[in-house]
Amino acid sequence: MVQFYLEGDRISEFVAHLMKQKPVYAPHRKGQKSFSFEKTENAEDVVLDYVRTMHSIKKYFLPPREELLHFDLTKNESDPVEIPMSEAVFLGVHSYDLAAVGRLDYNFTVGSPEKNYLTRRQNAIFIGVSFEPDKFHFSGSVGIRPEDSTGCDIFLTKLFDGYVLEILTDKGQELMEGLNLPAHDAGKPATGHFHQHIFVPQAKLSEVMEHSYDNPVWEETAGKCVGCGTCNLVCPTCYCFNVEENVDITATKGSRERHWDGCMLREFSEVAGGEVFRETLAARQRHRIFRKFKYISDQTGQPWCVGCGRCTTYCTAGISIVSIVNRLIGDYERAAVAPV
Amino acid sequence: MADKPRVAIFDFTGCEGCELNQLNFEDQLLDILAHVDIVEWREAMDGQVDEYDIAFVEGSLSTPDCINRINEIRRKTKVLVALGACAVQGGVNGMKNTRPIDEVRQEVYGDDKYLFPTLPALALSSVVKVDYNVRGCPMTQIEFLKVFTSLVMGKEPIEPDHSVCVDCKLKENECVYEKGMICLGPVTRAGCDAHCPSFGQYCTGCRGLVSHPNLKGMEEILVEHGLSVDEAWKRLELYNANELEGVRP
Repeated sequence: MVQFYLEGDRISEFVAHLMKQKPVYAPHRKGQKSFSFEKTENAEDVVLDYVRTMHSIKKYFLPPREELLHFDLTKNESDPVEIPMSEAVFLGVHSYDLAAVGRLDYNFTVGSPEKNYLTRRQNAIFIGVSFEPDKFHFSGSVGIRPEDSTGCDIFLTKLFDGYVLEILTDKGQELMEGLNLPAHDAGKPATGHFHQHIFVPQAKLSEVMEHSYDNPVWEETAGKCVGCGTCNLVCPTCYCFNVEENVDITATKGSRERHWDGCMLREFSEVAGGEVFRETLAARQRHRIFRKFKYISDQTGQPWCVGCGRCTTYCTAGISIVSIVNRLIGDYERAAVAPV
Repeated sequence: MADKPRVAIFDFTGCEGCELNQLNFEDQLLDILAHVDIVEWREAMDGQVDEYDIAFVEGSLSTPDCINRINEIRRKTKVLVALGACAVQGGVNGMKNTRPIDEVRQEVYGDDKYLFPTLPALALSSVVKVDYNVRGCPMTQIEFLKVFTSLVMGKEPIEPDHSVCVDCKLKENECVYEKGMICLGPVTRAGCDAHCPSFGQYCTGCRGLVSHPNLKGMEEILVEHGLSVDEAWKRLELYNANELEGVRP
């Protein structure tokens, strides 16, 4: 494996080198304390040392809102919106977000492949970066370490000043041509520890979830939850959407749009006739957790939660997915040892 | 070609800001007028008529005369659309309903209070059947256009029933709470494209509550972020006093 040393002072030069070749999407500062992935206009604006962005890079493959087709009622015709094939570099991606892209690949490939997602996703190049877990990250518990470079073309590991840069694929090699960096012969530093943990692996979690349908934690969580949907919308593996048709003020032309939706929202489970098939917040909380650790996981053996901590970070009510899951584990373990 | 639908626009107790917001449709006004004939609108034209197809009604009902007038409008129109927070849920006027009506009249009119027979400020829907709502303070323009277009096409408008948080997240707005502000977005009905949070403000709840709000949960969030229980409920009552009547502990 080829390793180079990217000195702190040369990061902008490295970003500019990438920008000369392809569009670069990377973390930028946003608002007072936040970060978000943005298209890079100035190499200096890229922040590689960040905690987490509100949205993962999912937003580039499955946009929050997108038009699917335009129609003209006077001619009774419609035109699908064609997605242009593009090559882009996603720089500064944390391991859990790339793992989430892997989960989405499964969701949009198995069954009926989804053209819009796959077209956008096809030529993506990923440059990962290690991260320092904060109080909400727990990806280690779902098998995703901060230094995990799976799926990356290039990977950056944080040093005291700068990064160890590893080239992992031919695409990565091509990108680096023309930028001379010194070789890095020493090892890589250890990454930080997680402060939050789910205490059992997925195999055991499936068993726990199987016995948790009637756990009181759902009702208790529903007492605090206001059903705002934030946890769904910031989740990098949530992929549910709604489709809506709108006609413009001419009343002759319009478009079909899809936008992100979420199972915590009452509307989401409302069907024709006004029936709501998951009426209570408790039922919706259970569904959300089961979607991450049971339903798809029973088929794939993998948790569909990547431990990014977003749902907990952005929950105004302070609901923690780790606390819910550990509570279920604790209750299950206690029930297992209790005398009948 | 069939006759264009006849539209009439009325106002009750309110600031007329919603009506003004209709006149503010500078880019769409000609398109709007291409679909309908406006037959009665005190704020913008002269004259009164006996019948119309669609009535847009602004303001809350706060006097006995208001009750008579809204009943008359309901009789004359095929479709009634409540326009803005006052008409939809009582709006800021509803704050007075949290106090005894005699006390409020005394404070405002003093010894002349017997000359002004005011009632608690009511939403239109508490007196007549309201077919559709355009929410907001002032009414949300993008929602007005959606409802208007649906009516012109004979379709049922979709009334959003999710939180303002959803609209914020779709735009990846930094959360207002991150900026140290208090926001009612988590229980407030979306449809405004999170207008205020997108421009540095917090949500005051003008579009009313979602259909099944967890108010105890919302109180906990507000208290957790520094308000007293009383302040939390006053904040919620700013636009939603009628809906919260009897709910507040």
